[in-house]
Amino acid sequence: MTLPDVTFADFHPILPALILMLGGAVLLFAEVFLTPSAHHGPAHVSRAHQPIIALVFTAAAALVSGWLMFQPARAVFLGFAVLDPFSAFLSLTVCVGLGLSVLIAAGFLRHRKAERGEFYALMLFGAAGMSLLGVSNELVVLFINIEVLSVSTYALAAYLRRGPRPAEAAFKYFILGAFSSAVLLYGISLLYGATGTTQLSAMAPQMSAALAKTQGLVYLGLGLLLGGLAFKVAAVPFHMWTPDVYEGAPTPVTALMSAGVKAAAFAALVRVFLALGHNLDSHLLATLFAFLALATMVIGNLLAIPQRNVKRMLAYSSIAHAGYVLLGVASLFVSGGAPTGGVLGATPLATGGLTAALRQDAVRGILFYLLAYTVSAVGAFGVVSALERREEEDRGTAWDLDRFAGLVHRRPWWAVAMTAFMLSLGGIPPLVGFMGKLLIFKSAVDAGLVWLAVVGILASAAGAYYYLRVVVYMFMRPAPETGVLPERHGWTEAALLLSTAAVVVLGIAPGLISSWLSQAGKLFGQ
Amino acid sequence: MVPITHYLVLAAVLFMIGMFGVMVRRNALVVFMCVELMLNAANLTFLAFARQRGDDLGHVNAFFVIAVAAAEAAIGLAVVIAIFRSRGSVQIQDIRTMKH
Repeated sequence: MTLPDVTFADFHPILPALILMLGGAVLLFAEVFLTPSAHHGPAHVSRAHQPIIALVFTAAAALVSGWLMFQPARAVFLGFAVLDPFSAFLSLTVCVGLGLSVLIAAGFLRHRKAERGEFYALMLFGAAGMSLLGVSNELVVLFINIEVLSVSTYALAAYLRRGPRPAEAAFKYFILGAFSSAVLLYGISLLYGATGTTQLSAMAPQMSAALAKTQGLVYLGLGLLLGGLAFKVAAVPFHMWTPDVYEGAPTPVTALMSAGVKAAAFAALVRVFLALGHNLDSHLLATLFAFLALATMVIGNLLAIPQRNVKRMLAYSSIAHAGYVLLGVASLFVSGGAPTGGVLGATPLATGGLTAALRQDAVRGILFYLLAYTVSAVGAFGVVSALERREEEDRGTAWDLDRFAGLVHRRPWWAVAMTAFMLSLGGIPPLVGFMGKLLIFKSAVDAGLVWLAVVGILASAAGAYYYLRVVVYMFMRPAPETGVLPERHGWTEAALLLSTAAVVVLGIAPGLISSWLSQAGKLFGQ
Repeated sequence: MVPITHYLVLAAVLFMIGMFGVMVRRNALVVFMCVELMLNAANLTFLAFARQRGDDLGHVNAFFVIAVAAAEAAIGLAVVIAIFRSRGSVQIQDIRTMKH
């Protein structure tokens, strides 16, 4: 038998994930060897070194991702994985989300006296799965990476397992996550049956033959695959689990779930359907994604409006944001194009089919939006985690809007930061959320989905209501008399500072990352 | 020799039983078993197609899926134990602290 020819260059795309896994392993060993045993030492030992270790490895992984962005796109490991700027940008986004979540977690766990070594290790392992999901070019590898990130997040969601809520959230997340993984896997097995391969690059040329021979198998397989991924990105009608899981999970974990898991799942969705969508009736795919985007945007925003629980409101808002990203995905698959050329000044389309340039623009829009959502949402969850108190959690009032009343008098800088995040999530210029929405809506209009873009804009106008309500509470309502001054956490405040800076700077000067972003539109094989 | 269609139909039936079970059963452990049933249905499909094509890939995939299912089972059972410790029951209707 011949051994496959694997060189060190093949390992380049998985380097960020390897670094993160190494970091996780280091953390686990540090827990065993550096921390005095609870039986002999004091009951609560300081573990300040843990977030530092986690941050160092996250930063290293982010640097390597930035370097990978400028490597030429190529297939590695016999085509099982790819190296392309798209996946490198995704790794970078995941590292940003992970780093901010680690900072939030450091303050949160210190406050709860729940610092244990496995927390950061699980976060790093999960992020490694997310980064690997972006490079997967084979369906079973994709499934395994989804499981790597899911299993870590199940455990993280159940981390504060003594309370009823985290256990409940973890259980719901586990059952629905495992269910969607099984659906995804069954879809993969049907596609394997139809085409005889599970590699995306090998599968794409087989698709037309398979469609002619076993049409039902292909459509059923792709449908199940889409269903499984739609669960992961929480698209309506597969969103039911999101509010409960996001509310019940520890807040730093919720931040990581809303940012990293979602971004990685979107990357997988884009890669799979761009590779396999060529030979399908592209009208079908565009309609399908347009419908998903429409339902997700409208329902996510409508359900968020009546929420007084800010954490739950952010969960619904994350559904709505998945809808905007799906709008970008839908515009990738439109074949007709705008009838009279790009509305916002892009090149007109002569004969059907989105030109490669416009398609790259749409991919860039999706990636930028994911980054914008990551910095805004993780920051917002950071403020939520700084304000919540253990005692109120069991009664379910820890995240009530009243907790935000008069925040500007008690912790003015937190209020300013939260305002920036809320305005950014609401898509108000000049913050980064606005730039993200601009890019997404622009590519939708260029693709000819004008009506859908209009619906999206209306939906985000409705969304401004519940985001601004938080701002109104913080600035215009008096602080409750009995209110306890929320404790400060240095780590959490560092996260707030960094994400506020990112929200403002990337919104005013998105050109700072434009060289990365213009690279990132390139997918392998597209 | 049993034709491949039989295996595929069996797998599809197992998958549907699993899917139905996840939706209607009330015991967390049974729901968990139904998820495992779905994974095994996918495995059976992989194996049936691999045999039909005389291709090793499907067999290898089945092994990967078994390993992943084992990891999932470990974490899933741990979560069910945490639920049981905090509530003394694994019935789904008891697991609803959070309201819409």
